[in-house]
Formats: sequence, C-alpha cells, structure tokens
Amino acid sequence: MIKHLAAASLLLTTACLVAGPARAADPGITDTEILIGDVEPLTGPPALLGVAASLGHKIAIAEANAAGGINGRKIKYVLEDDGYVTARTIQGVKKVIDVDKVFAMIGISGSGQSIAVMPVLEKSGIPTVIDVAPVKHLWEPPRKNVFVVGQSYEEGIVHLVNFLADKNPGKKWGLITQDDDYGITVRDGFDSVVKAKKLNVVYSGNYKKGQQDFSSDMLQLKDSGAEVFLAGGIIAENIAMMKEIEKLGIKPVTGIFWPGRIEPVLKLMGPAGDGIYAVDYVEPFAGAAGRAFLEKAKPLVSEAEFKGINRYTMTGYAAAKVLIAAIERCGKQPTWACTISELEKTKNVETGVMAPISFGPGVRFSNQKLQIMQADTATLSFKPVN
Amino acid sequence: MQYLIQLLISGLAIGAIYGLIAMGFAVIYKSTGLVNFAQGEMTMITAYIAWTISTTVSGNVFVVAIGAILAAVVLGLVIERLVMRPMLGEPVFATVMVTIGLAVILRSAINFIWDAYPHGLDIGMGRSVVHLGGIGVRTGQLAVIATLLLLLAAIWAFFRYSKVGVAMRAVAADDRTALLMGISATKVHALAWAASSLIAGIGGVFFALSYDLSPAMFQLGLKAFPATILGGLDAVLGSGLGGLLIGITENLAGGYLGSGMKEVAGFAMIIVVLMVRPFGIFGERDIERV
Repeated sequence: MIKHLAAASLLLTTACLVAGPARAADPGITDTEILIGDVEPLTGPPALLGVAASLGHKIAIAEANAAGGINGRKIKYVLEDDGYVTARTIQGVKKVIDVDKVFAMIGISGSGQSIAVMPVLEKSGIPTVIDVAPVKHLWEPPRKNVFVVGQSYEEGIVHLVNFLADKNPGKKWGLITQDDDYGITVRDGFDSVVKAKKLNVVYSGNYKKGQQDFSSDMLQLKDSGAEVFLAGGIIAENIAMMKEIEKLGIKPVTGIFWPGRIEPVLKLMGPAGDGIYAVDYVEPFAGAAGRAFLEKAKPLVSEAEFKGINRYTMTGYAAAKVLIAAIERCGKQPTWACTISELEKTKNVETGVMAPISFGPGVRFSNQKLQIMQADTATLSFKPVN
Repeated sequence: MQYLIQLLISGLAIGAIYGLIAMGFAVIYKSTGLVNFAQGEMTMITAYIAWTISTTVSGNVFVVAIGAILAAVVLGLVIERLVMRPMLGEPVFATVMVTIGLAVILRSAINFIWDAYPHGLDIGMGRSVVHLGGIGVRTGQLAVIATLLLLLAAIWAFFRYSKVGVAMRAVAADDRTALLMGISATKVHALAWAASSLIAGIGGVFFALSYDLSPAMFQLGLKAFPATILGGLDAVLGSGLGGLLIGITENLAGGYLGSGMKEVAGFAMIIVVLMVRPFGIFGERDIERV
C-alpha cells in the first residue's frame, strides 16, 4: 500500500513538474486569440481623448485582424473605463491584467493616471505601450516593459514657444496655465524658453481646473498689452479664452498645445481662432497623410465612431501598430520576454500618422519629431507651417 | 474705470446664470427640504436637449425655446415621479444620496446620448458682440441678465398673488395645516421639481448660448450652490441675487487680485457672510420644510 502511495506521489510530482511550465506560460494567449488590454476615460469630459485613442487601437487591431491576425491569432481588445479617476485607472489595470489576463497593455488614460499605475505595470512585467499622455516620468528612469510613443509635453511647449519667439521678436508675452500637473509641465517648458531667450512676459495667469468663465483673465491679458499669448488650456478652456479675446476686440498671436488641437474646436472659437498656432507630432487631417488615415479608418469603424476620430486616434493607432508588429515578430509562440525584446528592437517603424517610431536598448521613449501647424477656420483645419 | 465696468458686466452675466441655477436649488429646498445635488446635471441635460433641437428640428429661437422649456419641465416631473416620490418619508440623508446618484447617472448620460466634444448652441442670436460705450458684451449675456431680473419679479408675483404660489408657501410654512385645507403636498413637490428644472434649465441654455456646451457644464451647479447658501437656501429670490453677488465678486477678485483668486473669492465671501448670518443674507432664521 505504502509502495503504491509512494509511486502515486512520484507520478503526481512528475506530472506537476511537466505541467508546470505550461501553467506558468504568459497569459492572454490561446491558439486562436491574443488579448490586448486598455484603460481609458470613456465618460466625462476627458472621454474626448480616451474614446478617440481607443478608436485608434481598434482601427489598428481591425486592420491586423482583417489581414489574418498575429500569425493566425485574432486580436481581442479589452477596454475599461476609468472616468479619468486615478483610483479607477489602477483598479482597471489590475482587473485587465489579473482577471481578464491580457497579454499586453496599450494606451492608458491621462498623464497622472499612467504615472500612478506605473508600479502595477512594472511589477507585473506585462509588455506595455503608452500613447495617450507622454510625460517624462513614464520613461525616466526607463522601465524594462514600458514603452512610450510620442513626445514630451515640455519639449512640445519649448518647440512652440521657440517658434513663436523667433517669429515675433521683441514682443510682449502672456501665458495662462491650468493648476495641475499638465499646467506645471506647460509652465516649466515656457519658463525655460523665457529664460533662454529673455522674453518679456507681461501677463502670467493660473486658472483652476474646471473654470469656465475667463472674462477677468482675458481682460487682464488685454490690460497687460500682451502681443503673443500661450493659451495653456485644454479644449473647452481654450475655446472660452478665444471667445473672450474676440469679445474684447484684441488679436494677439496665439499658440495652443496639442491636447487642444482638435479640429471641431476651431468652429467654436470663431474668428478669434483663425491663424492660431499649434504644435504636434501627429499629422494634421488636412494633409495627405491625414486624409489617407481617414480613408483607411472609415470602413473599420461605425459612422458614430468615425465622428469621434481626432489626433488621439492617430497616437493610439501608431502605438497599436508598433505593439502588434513586435508580437508578430515573435513568431508562433510569442511571450512577454520576446515581445519586450522585439519592442526594444523597434526601428523606424512607419505608421503613416507620425514620423517613424524607434526604441532601443534602454530607450523606452520614441521621441517623435514635432511640427508647427496653423489653424484655418475657413476649412476648419490645421495646416503645417513650413 | 472701463476695466472695472467690464469686470462688473461680465460678473453680472455669469452671475445671472449662477443665480438662475441657484433659484432652482432654492425652489426644491423650500418645498421639500431637500438639497438637490443633481441640479447642475439637470441644467446641463436641458441645455443639451436645446442643442439637439437646434441641430435636428429647427434652429428657430422660438422652436428651441419652447422645446427646451417643455423638456426641462418633463425632466423635472419625471425625476420627481420616478426617483424622488418613492423616497418620500425616507431619511433625508438617503434622499440626498439618491440625488448624488442621479447626478452621476445624468453626467454619464451625456457621453452615452451625445458625445464628449464641446458644441455651440446656434439659434441665430445671442452670440454676437455689441459694444456699449466701448465695452464688448455678447447679446446673450445681456439677455440672461434681463431674464434673471424678469424671473425674479415673476416669481415674487407668483408667490405673492397666485393660488398655487400661496399653496406652495402654505405647504412650506405648515404642511399639516395645508393638508387640512386640501392642499396636496405631492402635487406641490412635483410642481417644485418642474419649476426648479425649468428655471435652472433656462440658465443652462443661456450658458450654452454665451459660452459653449460641454460635458463639464455640470460644474455650474457647484458654482451656483454657494450662491444659494449665500442668498439663503430657502430664499428663491435671495438665491437669484446671491448668484449675481458671487459672479461679481469672482470677477472683481480675478481682475484685481489675479486669476487664482477667482475661484476662491466666492467661497471666501460665503464663509464671512455665514459667520454673520448662518441662514444666508435673505434666508429665514427657522427654515420650515415639508
């Protein structure tokens, strides 16, 4: 009897050892499917970016699935709403990793949310490509499994302010920023150019997130005599500021940042929005690349979804393309380790919506090339400035 | 001087919007003893409905106005009948929590029914800029100030002279006696919710006209609530005037003390006023509720 028990125990142990590696295999992958997870703000005002970014992911996934999937496996997209609430982002990321057991992560909400969720991502070791809100804390120091597609907010502001300063030498400057991490980044970038170029700043305002009436702020701007204005709002704030500027009858040279570079905004800004400058690293929809992207997207999304496409759809699309390509290069049996290794080897990947994307050993940030654009309210579009 | 006048006019314009929404708070509180934390969201929904009418049915100002008024009244009645009436007799805390839940649902409804993009309400008027003595002001801003003043007068007359208004005052003053005299508290509650939704909805539509529609618009409720506290939670007319005071104070603080002070100023004023008059400037010392 004891002999039989010993033999059975040995058999069981052997079976466990043999089966062990199979159970320990990376999750989110079956013979027919690969799961990719994402957490975005799909409700509330920031849904404007979350919905658009998720559309970009969906378009890239639909495109890959239409071409047969990743080495025969169809991609399934698991999307969670965080409502732009950091606690919900962490909860959502944990849920898609631990419960849905996705193979890779993409997107991930706003800047504050993705910074907050970084320890969860790092601890899990899951291959991740972030594309919505690129901020330095996401790639400095570089994390083995986390890659960021885009350009830093600070670099974007520096590029824009340098351009406006060179174009408007000796002019008086005005700036208004939001009282959060986004606003601090904008202000830091602005201040670095002010110091380097000794700009004459005559107005510097700081508004509370959620402010809707900018009448006194813009009146101060007018009173200061500012000739060049950096509107550091996001979307609704920039619209409100430009409408006040129109009401006050002034026309400073105005620059906005890419989170607010959404074409429908121009219609709401009215005449005051005409000619405003913006900086971005994705192609404008008015250009050939932008039009080609829209043509590609049209059959892959519903009519309602198509209306929700904006610049964040392009960032999402590019990031998803890079991730899918890396998994694909791992062949028939992709693993997390291989995917991370292949992401690191990403070199000049063309996505059609921004400059080629590259990472490298210890380089987890794609550092996209920036371009200046100018608004044309007649066509409700942004056009590249050469 | 022109700087000061510009600040005052802008303050009156945004203050009139706060005032209208604040009156909505006060109407419900006066009649039901309840603080409706979904007031900002109800305001936003009415404005979005007005925008939908303007883009799908007709951009004619009368069509949009009538449609928005009906929608606001129906919204108030539906909420009262389906959500609030079943809560009658329940603890106030539970009822207030229901309004908070309602607020979250209505806020999310914007993304489900409409979208997260900002939109402009274009009804062919209200958005143009006129210059009064060199001061630029939108016609919609002038209209909302006039509307608030007209509504203040109309509501005063309603409570003073109309049978329904007197009945509402009677219920607020002593519901048992009012009941003995044949006044239905349930009907008064329904009327209060409809009136509150309508008055605040008017504020929302004017906001959409002068500024824009966006899913962040519910935050107007957070700005209007202090106006109600300032004017008196049970003082409908006082709440309207409280809105004007908050709007002017915010703008003067923003204009003279800096942008950062704008959001703080109104609340600082409330703290000072409440220390002197805990029931608000126009509120009653002992608030009666149904």
